Amino acid sequence: MRRSTLIVMIVVLLLFVLSWIFKANALSAGEDNYIARGFLITFAAFLTLAVMSFLYQDNPFYKFAEHLFVGISAAFWMCMGFWTTIVQNLIPRLSTSLADFFQVPQQAGGLEPFFFTPVILGILLLMRLSPKGGWISRWPLAFIVGTTAGLNFIRYLRSDFIKQISSTFVPLLGRQWEGIGPFLSNLDLSATGQLVVLISNWVVFLGVFCGLIYFFFSKEHKGAFGFGSRVGIWILMITFGASFGYTVMGRISLLVGRITFLFRDWLGIIET
Amino acid sequence: MKRQIPVVLVGVFGLFMIFQYFVPHESSEWIYEFLLDWTIIIGIFAMALGLWSLYRVSVEKIKTRKPAWGYNYLTLVGLFTMMLFGFTTQNGEAWGWFFPFMVSANLVLVLVIQATVTKDMRGLFLSLTAVFFVVCVLIIIFDDTWGFHFETAEGLRSTMFRAFFDNILIPIFATMFSLLAFFIASAAYRAFRARNVMATLLLLAALIVMLRFNPYFGPVSPYVNKASNWLMNVPNLAAQRAIVIGIGLGIVATSLKVMLGIERGYMGKG
Amino acid sequence: MKHKLLIPCLLLLCFTLASAQEGTSPPEDTLLFDSASLPAPVTNLVAEDTDNDHGHAITLEWQTSADDGTGKQSVTMYEVFRWVPDLMTRIPALRDTLDYLKLRTGESWSEPEPGSRTDSIHNVFASLDDAALESKLESLEQTISQAIKGLPAAHATYPEDGEWQQVAVAPAGSATAADVGTKEKDSPDYLPDYSDFYYRVDAVTADPTIRTSSEIFGPVQSYGQWFNTGRLAVSVFVLVFGFFTVFFVYRARRGADLYVRPLAGIEAVDDAIGRATEMGRPILYVMGLGTADQIATIASFTILGRVAKRVAEYQTKLMVPAYEAVVMAVAQEVVKTAYYDAGRPDDYDEDIVFFVTSLQFAYVAAVNGLMLRELPATNVYMGKFFAESLLLAETGAVAGSIQIAGTDEIAQIPFFIVACDYTLIGEELYAASAYLGREPILLGSLKAQDWAKAGVIVLAIAGLILSNLAIANDWSWASAIIDLFRVVD
Repeated sequence: MRRSTLIVMIVVLLLFVLSWIFKANALSAGEDNYIARGFLITFAAFLTLAVMSFLYQDNPFYKFAEHLFVGISAAFWMCMGFWTTIVQNLIPRLSTSLADFFQVPQQAGGLEPFFFTPVILGILLLMRLSPKGGWISRWPLAFIVGTTAGLNFIRYLRSDFIKQISSTFVPLLGRQWEGIGPFLSNLDLSATGQLVVLISNWVVFLGVFCGLIYFFFSKEHKGAFGFGSRVGIWILMITFGASFGYTVMGRISLLVGRITFLFRDWLGIIET
Repeated sequence: MKRQIPVVLVGVFGLFMIFQYFVPHESSEWIYEFLLDWTIIIGIFAMALGLWSLYRVSVEKIKTRKPAWGYNYLTLVGLFTMMLFGFTTQNGEAWGWFFPFMVSANLVLVLVIQATVTKDMRGLFLSLTAVFFVVCVLIIIFDDTWGFHFETAEGLRSTMFRAFFDNILIPIFATMFSLLAFFIASAAYRAFRARNVMATLLLLAALIVMLRFNPYFGPVSPYVNKASNWLMNVPNLAAQRAIVIGIGLGIVATSLKVMLGIERGYMGKG
Repeated sequence: MKHKLLIPCLLLLCFTLASAQEGTSPPEDTLLFDSASLPAPVTNLVAEDTDNDHGHAITLEWQTSADDGTGKQSVTMYEVFRWVPDLMTRIPALRDTLDYLKLRTGESWSEPEPGSRTDSIHNVFASLDDAALESKLESLEQTISQAIKGLPAAHATYPEDGEWQQVAVAPAGSATAADVGTKEKDSPDYLPDYSDFYYRVDAVTADPTIRTSSEIFGPVQSYGQWFNTGRLAVSVFVLVFGFFTVFFVYRARRGADLYVRPLAGIEAVDDAIGRATEMGRPILYVMGLGTADQIATIASFTILGRVAKRVAEYQTKLMVPAYEAVVMAVAQEVVKTAYYDAGRPDDYDEDIVFFVTSLQFAYVAAVNGLMLRELPATNVYMGKFFAESLLLAETGAVAGSIQIAGTDEIAQIPFFIVACDYTLIGEELYAASAYLGREPILLGSLKAQDWAKAGVIVLAIAGLILSNLAIANDWSWASAIIDLFRVVD
């Protein structure tokens, strides 16, 4: 370990202890277990800063937060999965005595022995761990992939495909001409001006048309087809830009939330 | 045979899911609901595989002295500690010997890892493991202030579990998320440097939408706002629709290929 | 014998409970009122099984009363009544008793509050010991299941042993209503299939006591259908698309030459693997946050298989951190097979694909650390990505890796475009596997996709013209065709 690293470590440790003392002292008026609370808040602040230090470069503090995060989150999911799926969902369907043991309500419609199948499939999946039985673990995987492939086939055919086609059926010609309407002040689709609506409808229609041309794989993008495809990718890029810009504000508000934690909950500089 | 059966299974279950969409009858609904629950349950079993993989890879990194190998102890200690929290509960107000128990339990874990990664000192580590193991057992037997609790999800409500969740998981999670604000800025800068038509279009659209609430343009700002609204409502709608139709087709074609056994990439066969 | 003892007690209970519900049934004797104030009845009442459902529901249609909107204009609403056998009204009370007995025999039993409903049941059974309670519980369970089985027979006894119950309400002006029950036998709304139901509809005035009943319609039975005709359009698409795919795959197999336009992102994959080999650095393959049940992840598996095979041939190092355990298991299988196919089974290591964690940003933290410590020459992101896309891609760009991304998550594509060298947009992700494999079968299905797109464009234009003409000329038949594309959920 280099000397500079050591010094940084010691400084951070000292600051940590100091913060702990001050925080506990500040909390001692209102709470019983202020020492533990002070530690936890300081620790949370330390982790926040440790993760933020990643912006500068990879460093021991980030590594500390990262590895701790991975371990704890994996265990968190395991515990949640066990209690919510196995105990709440599966146990009452398989055995009344096990349900009594785990103190979960009995299944209303009686036991469902069919639920032994996923248990068996789950155990087959665990056969991966044995060097010889690995091939049988493909069965449960095939089950999962098969059911969801069928499910997705229908779901996307219906929602992404047929529904989208039917929503391109928009009026491109006005039935009765109602005049141009207020144009510049109504640049959005909610405009009352008929011309604006029609232009927008045309843009939508041509946009979909050119966008789809861009996604043609088995035809060379040359000539008029190539032009359509180029217009398509331009429109795609405009869309991506718009969606990029749209997200920026949301991301900044997340940062504001973290800074509020540091300055209000930890340091207590800003008041609520 | 070993290869054929999974393909047949995929086809059968996939086609069933398609048929059931068109069959409103109760029996089809019944099987459908079963199958959906089943996949979730199998997923939970898989979690054991995942944890095993995490353990093995971490130990492997320690063994081969990969960069930052020492931190892998931290991962495993965090994993082990949080799992113990999930299954223990307080009997009264005090936690008694819980803290010494956690320390010795984690020492057992670390020493076991040490024994697996080293060759020369294995005897020493194993005997130390035994000592701390006995300490753990003694604490479990003689300390009544807390206990293991497997009957109800009491562990998820324990103060320790909550404290780790609120003060370790949440802060890191939220901070990682908030880092996006910085990253989006550097990404925008990157886009700005790329000088071609595509990048320019992207950046222009992004700028217009970003500046939509900006009051500094004086009389022009309502028009920026309108332009951004129009961008979001018209070209955006068109492109989204084209992409969605494409994705829908891609998904439909891929799932069809999977069900017909044409695409077996998920089993390692193309 | 225990059975017989129980039934009178329960009947007593049922009586008290049922009497509370009887408030809804109309007075039988309407002659008390001046007949001139009574509204005209509903006519031509027809009840039939609801179409395209799983059963347990009846749809009713009628002609509105002559005094609804016209005539005396006195009708304010319609109330739909169904004849319900006594057996059916008795079941909820039996179930209350069953719940009580379960509670009583369970561990967490405590004396009920005096005066509560449980208390009134408790008074009947208080003196029984545990064994007697157990046997009561058992016989009661049997009684209930037999009662449910006997419902169709009980309905057949109409009009004996039953009463009219209100099952639906419709506002004035409506000529249809649905009596929708559930298939759950435990629910009080359970409506048994293949039982004879009898209906009548009352035209009700502002004063609910002044009402006229329609003629009784029945018997009618509910049952589930085997085909949902509302989804006919979807089934046509399934067949057409399935046919296209099989046709082009068959043609491709026979050796027809299929052109595919170049995709920069795909061509970069090979170069990137070569570059990694030259530099002696690993390749990082990230499958995102998708689960094994998402098609984007399945497409990613196929691409992983190709990449892994190439990597095995070049003897480069591959790293695949997994977000989900099932995905990890499948990916291990994929990579293993790829190494075998490349003829290098000895190079395969079970830890090429490894599990990290299932929490979004914990996964990102770990992968980011990996990028900065292992310094992969190439990062490939294929699959489902959410907010983490930018964190990953920016870190990779900072680390100086060549980055290739592909996702169908529209909101994340912009971030990949900005931070990666090559991005596969939406459908290109699904096409990538065919490109990488260059197998005629997969290319054939790509052709089918293109034909489907052409079909979409033609349909959209035709629909557009049709809907515009329909608006201009008030063609109802054109609207009917357009309606075929409205999907019934």
